Amino acid sequence: MTWWSVVRFLHVIGAALWVGGQLTVSLVVLPPARRLLDDQRRGQVLTAVGRRFGTLTVAVFLPVQLVTGVAIAWHKGVTWASLAEPGYGRILAAKLLLFCAVMAAAGAHGWATGSGRSRLARAMAVTSLVGSLGVVLLATALPAT
Amino acid sequence: MGPVDIRIERGKPPLDAPPAPPRRPRASWHLRANAIVVGWLALTVVVALAGDVLPAPRWLLIHVFLLGAVSTAILIWSEHFTVALLRVRTPPQRGSLARLGVLNAATVAVLAGVSAGPWQVAAAGAALVAGVVLWHAAVLVRLVRQALPGRFGHVIGWYVSAAGALAAGGVLGGLLAAHVWHGAVHERLHAAHAEVNVFGWVGLTVLGTLFTLWPTVLRTRMSDATRRASRVGLRLAAPGLAVAVAGLLADWRWVALAGLAAYAAGGLAVLAPLADALRRKRPHTGASWMLGAAIVWFEVALIADLVVVATRPAAEVAAALEPLLPLVLVGFVAQVLLGSLLHLLPAVLGGGPARFKRNAALLERRWPVRLAALNLGVPLLALPVPRPMTLLGWALVLGSGLAFVALAVTALTRARPAGAVPTAATTMKGDADGSANGSADGSADGSADGRTSWRRSLPAVAGVAVGCLLTAAAVVVATTGDPGPSAVTATGSRTIEVTLSGMSIRPSVIEAPVGTVLTLRVTNTDAQRHDLRLATGERTPMLASGQSATLNLRPLGEPVDGWCTVAGHRAAGMTMRIVPTGIAAASQPRPSSGHNGHGTNAAESTRLDLAAPMSPGWKPYEATLKPAPGGTEHHIEIRADDTVVQEVAPGTRQRVWTFNGTLPGPVLRGKVGDVFVVTFVNAGTMGHGIDFHAGATAPDGPMRTIQPGERLTYRFRAESAGAWLYHCSTMPMTQHIANGMYGAVIIDPPKLPKADREYLLVQGELYLGEPGGDAQVAKIREGEPDGWMFNGTAAGYDHAPLRAEPGERVRIWAVAAGPSSGTALHVVGAPFDTVYKEGAYLLRADDPGGAQVLDLAPAQGGFAELVFPEAGTYPVVDHTMRRAEAGAHGQFQVSAP
Repeated sequence: MTWWSVVRFLHVIGAALWVGGQLTVSLVVLPPARRLLDDQRRGQVLTAVGRRFGTLTVAVFLPVQLVTGVAIAWHKGVTWASLAEPGYGRILAAKLLLFCAVMAAAGAHGWATGSGRSRLARAMAVTSLVGSLGVVLLATALPAT
Repeated sequence: MGPVDIRIERGKPPLDAPPAPPRRPRASWHLRANAIVVGWLALTVVVALAGDVLPAPRWLLIHVFLLGAVSTAILIWSEHFTVALLRVRTPPQRGSLARLGVLNAATVAVLAGVSAGPWQVAAAGAALVAGVVLWHAAVLVRLVRQALPGRFGHVIGWYVSAAGALAAGGVLGGLLAAHVWHGAVHERLHAAHAEVNVFGWVGLTVLGTLFTLWPTVLRTRMSDATRRASRVGLRLAAPGLAVAVAGLLADWRWVALAGLAAYAAGGLAVLAPLADALRRKRPHTGASWMLGAAIVWFEVALIADLVVVATRPAAEVAAALEPLLPLVLVGFVAQVLLGSLLHLLPAVLGGGPARFKRNAALLERRWPVRLAALNLGVPLLALPVPRPMTLLGWALVLGSGLAFVALAVTALTRARPAGAVPTAATTMKGDADGSANGSADGSADGSADGRTSWRRSLPAVAGVAVGCLLTAAAVVVATTGDPGPSAVTATGSRTIEVTLSGMSIRPSVIEAPVGTVLTLRVTNTDAQRHDLRLATGERTPMLASGQSATLNLRPLGEPVDGWCTVAGHRAAGMTMRIVPTGIAAASQPRPSSGHNGHGTNAAESTRLDLAAPMSPGWKPYEATLKPAPGGTEHHIEIRADDTVVQEVAPGTRQRVWTFNGTLPGPVLRGKVGDVFVVTFVNAGTMGHGIDFHAGATAPDGPMRTIQPGERLTYRFRAESAGAWLYHCSTMPMTQHIANGMYGAVIIDPPKLPKADREYLLVQGELYLGEPGGDAQVAKIREGEPDGWMFNGTAAGYDHAPLRAEPGERVRIWAVAAGPSSGTALHVVGAPFDTVYKEGAYLLRADDPGGAQVLDLAPAQGGFAELVFPEAGTYPVVDHTMRRAEAGAHGQFQVSAP
């Protein structure tokens, strides 16, 4: 038990809360909301939930993941060059690229929502959810330390 | 709307103060200006995390925070408060922006100048800081003159005094950066600089602001005693601080103490109305508790400061104050900043009473926990507790700070009107609603007809497809080139402690059964930096002294070599080998990969041809020794440069490690008692240090090894005459000296008679081959050089003879750099009539005897004098003839003018 296990703990718990939060909202909160609320109320609830989750993402999740992720990589001795090497480096690089794609999809979703393209927004939202599951998949493929 | 406006409305409604005039454009200008403060704060965090990677990390951390973030904040807010309190028109915005710009430019100059040089940039920056803050003070004074007499005018006196303090502190800082004085004076200057900036610029500003801020935060009215307390307090505090600074500078301990006591008394006078307010209303908000705690830390720091000044000579004050820094920086300054922002931010964000209330509630969320964490963390940082406790302190302090930042960001995001510019902050909503659609459509049959359901779920399906494609692509990228599972199956595991120290890795051989999963816990117990790299690719980061790292290896199959990657260390013996039991260690060829595997074989066969012509364009090292420059203090910058390639023997070029790009390094000459201030810069690619034999100083500080990009100041007084060696002090010293990192310091003996010509010959060994490579290091360790050099070229002065005239008195200074051999310096055909060796005359010109050799052991120095009897060519040699024949050979061409 070192301080590095605390850093890894924060990284893992951050990812768990974020991905788990998306799934919980999608599978647990919203179906009853759709059934029980009228259109206007549902819109309000969805907006409120989405806004709150988005705020948490930017204020807590992103900073925590970036800081702890960079710290863990530094601790592992990852360099730019080693990202290209097969094995750990390559998997990490792929995971980072996918993470960037997920964030881009999330951003596109936000833009689409704001400009009234609801179908594109929905597609981007699901893309980002599925993609973030992929990030977790690649994370589990990284050799354990 | 400015926070002060809000404060006055909300804080003192019962009084007759009319509501402030709306100042919207100004307020928004202030909002934007505060972005600079936030930027500096972010940079502070970066500097704190970067740690030892930066030059002067501790200094940078303090100055990025105090000079960058805090000074910018004070400049913005003290002007704004002045305008609001005096109810005057705002000064021209162009001027305010100019001051802000100049202050920030000056700050950048100071930061760059001190951490990267040259010092002139830092000094100019400091002068600019002093200038801009005086300009700021002048603006405040002009505002006071314009204003009608009011209830708050007294506060401005504090701001103006604070500005004066920074002007003084800036000048002191400039003098520190310029290294105008040294030793004890420098330390006193340092103490005065710290005191006047922290207790003057920051302290006076905070005390002045508290008169109005404290009652506002408590939501009570201002005490009637305020104005009197302010006047008395300022009259005690400002002159007190001036006296304290003067006392520190002049080394009058009791004067300094008296001044500080007066300052503390002034601080107590300020506390009176604050306590009065406290009696009327107990603190009930996070902001009030934080400000209160900050005041307590301020008093604690002040008392500790009084004790330090009372018990130490002024020259030791700065060092003794060092442990107080976290207390002042975090407990006082950062907490005041957080407390004020906690109170001011909702007002700055605006948006009507309801919004104000909501934002205030958000920012104050869980404040007791945050307050407790911060204030528990401060003593952990300040007290000498074990390292895990210090880390806990950092975690508490940073956690508390980050919690505030997160809440502030949330408040700022909330402040956006709904529907405007959605960003990533508002993205996750549709995730939810997209998936909800999918599942709802599947289950809630009958709520919509089939076609609508299909069309509605189309985006969700598309999203799943795109997401799966992206993931698949990523998995493909991740698995390409994967070596696949190791053929060796893991059979067990072991953890092994590995120590790096004294140019060796212990244990040097690790034996384990095939298939063992090894974990190496690598600890550097040496004084300099090392790392461990294995041939299989695993590597530790560069470990500073005392640091550890863990390497996790794949199941052991083949023998694995490990080594330290610092230049020359592998060759010097920092290697290890992991051997599966059953396979003989010696049977495996040693891999020749790595930086030092190249170019070494060529060196073996190289024979020096000293008679060959030097290449065109070769210039000899100037052997003529110039007289000592005037003055008693000599400033010189010496840069370690280990990439120079130069002609070390006729037709033979060799990469050498140098001081200032020449071999030998620059000559320093002076008189007994002269002071040399050497700025040593490591512009090389590995760690280097410098060691001047001519000075007396504890080696720990100035002779330490510094890393590329770092610098240090090495100051010594030459108390004794002689010809002295200086050389690189980094281990392995054999390699650093053998590759050229040496030079001479000449300190003239008193009453040294004038000679017609003076020459300096620094003799050193020549080892060909890649510096730090296996072959070269082997020769260095055997003491078997390929040749010997006078002033960096074997037989150089055979090709560029030294000049003299018959009958002239010629003084030949000599220093033997080694690393392994000295010299027996001899001039063929002309005996010496004067010999001076290691600080004493062995022979003088009027003695009846003569001398044939000036003999020097490695690192010794001296001079010999002779008069050439007639015109001719006189060889100068090391009379250890094998050295003379391998390059320790030159010529004097003696002829009439």
